[in-house]
Amino acid sequence: MVEAIKSGWITFKSIFIGMGVTIRHFFGPSVTLQYPDERPVIPDKARTKLYVNIDDCIGCHLCARACPVNCIYIDTVPATSDVDLGKTSTGNPKRFWLTRFDIDMAKCMYCDLCVHPCPTNCIYMVPDYEYSEFDRTNLIYHFSNLEPAMVAEVKEKAEKEAAEKQKQREEMMRKKAEEAKKKQMEAKKPPQQNTDGETGTKSDKSDNGDS
Amino acid sequence: MTQNLLHINPIAILVHAAIPLVIILVYALVAIWAERKVAGFIQDRLGPMRVGGWHGWAQSIADLLKLIQKEDIIPNDASRFLFKFAPFMMFAASYAAFAVIPFSSSYIGSNINIGVFYLLAVTSVLTLSIIMAGWASNNKWSLLGGMRSAAQMVSYEVPTIATVLTVIVVTGSLNLMTVTEMQSGNDILGFLPNWFIFQNPFLLVAFVIFFISILAESHRVPFDLPESESELVAGYQTEYSGMRWAMFMLAEYADMLLLSLLGATLFFGGWNSPFGDFMSGPFWSFFWFMLKGLLLVFVMMWIRWTLPRYRVDQLMHICWSILIPLSFINLVLVALWEVIF
Amino acid sequence: MELTTILFYLFSLITLGAAAFMVFSKNIVHSAFALMFALIGVAALYVLLYADFLAATQLLVYVGGILILILFGVMLTSLGYTFNFKTVTVNLAPASLLSATAAVLLIFAFVTTDWKISEIAEPTDTVYDLGMLLMGDYILPFIVAGVLLLIAIIGAILMSTHLSAENREGV
Ligand code: SF4
Ligand code: SF4
Repeated sequence: MVEAIKSGWITFKSIFIGMGVTIRHFFGPSVTLQYPDERPVIPDKARTKLYVNIDDCIGCHLCARACPVNCIYIDTVPATSDVDLGKTSTGNPKRFWLTRFDIDMAKCMYCDLCVHPCPTNCIYMVPDYEYSEFDRTNLIYHFSNLEPAMVAEVKEKAEKEAAEKQKQREEMMRKKAEEAKKKQMEAKKPPQQNTDGETGTKSDKSDNGDS
Repeated sequence: MTQNLLHINPIAILVHAAIPLVIILVYALVAIWAERKVAGFIQDRLGPMRVGGWHGWAQSIADLLKLIQKEDIIPNDASRFLFKFAPFMMFAASYAAFAVIPFSSSYIGSNINIGVFYLLAVTSVLTLSIIMAGWASNNKWSLLGGMRSAAQMVSYEVPTIATVLTVIVVTGSLNLMTVTEMQSGNDILGFLPNWFIFQNPFLLVAFVIFFISILAESHRVPFDLPESESELVAGYQTEYSGMRWAMFMLAEYADMLLLSLLGATLFFGGWNSPFGDFMSGPFWSFFWFMLKGLLLVFVMMWIRWTLPRYRVDQLMHICWSILIPLSFINLVLVALWEVIF
Repeated sequence: MELTTILFYLFSLITLGAAAFMVFSKNIVHSAFALMFALIGVAALYVLLYADFLAATQLLVYVGGILILILFGVMLTSLGYTFNFKTVTVNLAPASLLSATAAVLLIFAFVTTDWKISEIAEPTDTVYDLGMLLMGDYILPFIVAGVLLLIAIIGAILMSTHLSAENREGV
């Protein structure tokens, strides 16, 4: 009997304590944020949507290489010598046309790894988190600002120049080869063929480094 | 009574009978919204906020409009007639019970002498309609929910009736209007109203038992086993959709109100004002009555968001080995008290 | 025709129709629910006869109690969870003989009785008179019925404890 009364007392006491807790919360303030009307303050280091300031990008591919899910796609075309692409705001000279700079935000996992390697600090996260789309292809963001026509033109030019350079290089190589032959003729040393090949490749390499 | 009514203008009868219906419908809209708001506030949320401006007051109206448009899905293997009929029977049962509730000092649906007894009898049909819905759906969750609810309601009907009887022992009348009238005046300790809950300690115990049993009878947490979402999907309502489901919802909320109002009538003085003659006209009496009923409904909601659900065996244990013996002992004690004092 | 008469015929029709459906239905659960309609119809007829207490008792005891027990019995048996409990007719000849005899007896009683037709007088308080009668003139049957129910309850408890004790031994 005493046991029963005791356990009954405990039951009611615990129920009333629980109800006291809930009624305190009932009258307490709510923590709800009325989302479209009120917005949360995004902290500084929040990882959100990526943005590329394409004017500052030097096309170094460092961000694309850093990305663990490979969702940054960059195509570059070297600028021809007749155009000067200018410098970035950080003072680095720009040497490439960025014919393509796409980031697939559907694939991106917001790891922030692409942001830090960038030498010109031109890829960074902007505090925007509302960019859902009905079609997932819309989530591939194109940052390159070149028109398709321009892309074609630039490519053509670059190809031409490359071809020209190739020609020049061949010319130089030929000249060098001739010079080397002359030297060989003059020197007339026994291990003829071998040294000939070596010097040839060496000069080729140094050529490449210059351009 | 019947004979008298049959000679009155049919339209007058209809209007007379429709008053509780209007009250139920308005109450259901408010209560469903309030339930969500209470849930929200207790969980430090806000609940519905968008529809209708101030605190989303039109949310249930929007939900109702949505439900009306929904397709009325009937499972292929369901027992069609019973499946269609069950929600209406359930609502009819809880609506019919409102006939004997004295809403105000000047309005009662039907002033019959067997008042409470009629109410208990009619609400027992609710159980059958739930079994009907559960069985006709031809779905294991529905059937289990229906069986559970039947077992629960049949069991908890016993303590409910026993506690109602304790009040009846005091009043000597089954008519709820008379029961209410006996509680007017402010005589206890000089200022407390003459409500039965204050009249003797055993009636307080009776009220506690009564309240626990009506929680179980109206399937509220912690006794919501018939529709426990985490076990039975939605119990006997699983296969229902659209307006039929809405009928179930309506009937449930009506049942909740009915039992709360019954509690208010039996223990809290019905439509009597707590301040004696102050604010006690027919309109005010309606106001006080609804206020008391809705307060009990609020307590039900409050409990819902406080307590976890019982297991089936615990549910039966509470009923058969605690509430029923207690309520019978209490009945005898109240009778003794009445004899002595 | 008066409204009461119309109501009377309406409820009689419901009662009879439901009873017929109950007898002829092949599905036992459908029969049980038809029984419910029949019982409710009878309750309504009681109301039309000013026997409101009886009507409520009919609802509470038969619809709310016994019918639910029947449904429980049907559904909790091993076949209960399927849809296909078919009823089969057994003992066709003796059953029809018996019911025919009963019908003849009833009709005979109905025809030969000298029915007293009294004026409709609305009784003011059925419950009070009923209580007085039960506690006064009919106190003995009342107590006997009570004792009978008590014995039944004790029997049920004994049976269940016996069964569970056996189960425990089995385990
Ligand atoms: S945030 Fe991470 S995943 Fe997204 S683009 Fe940058 S490196 Fe790739
Ligand atoms: S790391 Fe920076 S500069 Fe280099 S390609 Fe990416 S965005 Fe451009």
